[in-house]
Amino acid sequence: MTESERDPNVEWIAREARRPVESSAGVRARVMDAVRSTPLPVRPRRGMGWLTAPRPLALSPLGSTLLAAGLVGIGLLLGLAVTNRDGRLPTEQPTAVAATAQLPVHDTLQVHRFELEAPHASRVALVGDFNNWSLAATPMTRSADGTAWTVTVKLPAGRHVYAFVVDGAKGSKWVPDPAALRAPDDGFGTANSVVLIGQGSAT
Amino acid sequence: MKRLAGRRGLVALIALAAAAPSLFAQGPDPLAKLDTAGRALVRSLVDSARAEGLPSEPVLSKAQEGVAKHAPNPAIARAVRTVFLSLRQARNTLGPKASRDELTAAAAALQAGIPASALADLRASGHGKSITVPLVVLADLVTRGVPRDMASHTILQLWMGGAGDADLLGLPKAVEQDIVSGAAPGDALVNRARTIPIRLPPAKVPE
Repeated sequence: MTESERDPNVEWIAREARRPVESSAGVRARVMDAVRSTPLPVRPRRGMGWLTAPRPLALSPLGSTLLAAGLVGIGLLLGLAVTNRDGRLPTEQPTAVAATAQLPVHDTLQVHRFELEAPHASRVALVGDFNNWSLAATPMTRSADGTAWTVTVKLPAGRHVYAFVVDGAKGSKWVPDPAALRAPDDGFGTANSVVLIGQGSAT
Repeated sequence: MKRLAGRRGLVALIALAAAAPSLFAQGPDPLAKLDTAGRALVRSLVDSARAEGLPSEPVLSKAQEGVAKHAPNPAIARAVRTVFLSLRQARNTLGPKASRDELTAAAAALQAGIPASALADLRASGHGKSITVPLVVLADLVTRGVPRDMASHTILQLWMGGAGDADLLGLPKAVEQDIVSGAAPGDALVNRARTIPIRLPPAKVPE
């Protein structure tokens, strides 16, 4: 194809494109002034500015999954920190308090002091239906003279079955409270005790 | 659109993380150490107790006690079933108005071998008072070796005579002292019961 055989319209467009752009003498100066007056890009902020500066957050599906797992894991750790081994919140556990037995706490809870003579024990725990028979929930404290173990707990009114778990040189042993009422055979070969809270005098 | 979906996802994640502690607070299954059949039995008995209006906590508590005492699964199943059946019999004996404490004390008395008729006598003579204390004392005395009939009769007499809770609750310790001193359990109870002031019904005048 020769020059003379081209489409006239194409020829016109090509001619217009080759023609130099005509601009006034001040245009170049105005453009350069505008460039100089435009602020330079801001350098990355530091400190609080960096932390608080808004920025878009884009996560891949894998990143979202990992973030979810991390958040749930933190939640579980918090749950572990505020709960005991048997899954009850600390406020639901019989709470050790320094008080005399049978002081009314409110309408349904009363404090009751448990005591066991066990001078050779290395550790004693109170277990019963009020703490789901949890060995870790209600440890007892050795008395100053070292012969007795005591704990004072808040209990709801009613009949409660309990026992002591005594750790000694021969291992752990479940023993009833010798000063309390006895419960019938527990079905497992060890004896339990009974305490009545809020009915007559506690035993 | 994408941004909205992402924001909703983030809110859901934060909600899940916030809920995690309370979900965890429900704790591990207390029956996890039971075998499948044992767990199913306990859950079924707990459900049955609820359905029948019986207290279900003693049933679950007995299973937890068995787990804590490292009892074998069959022994736990047996003990849990015994508690449930005793509660049911206690309610049938004491009536639908029996309190939770009365039911658990009566169930324990039945497990100690006290006849249901003795429980019914106590209920009938209670004039609407709670019979938890006499039931608990009765079960205690039998576990100390006092013959069941003698224990049932003596406690009923004291109860009918208006003996107070404190008097009844003091009996086991006093009886135990006499037993340790060498007295037969039945004799110890009779002797100690005589020291409790009661309003005995007027004796019949022989014709």
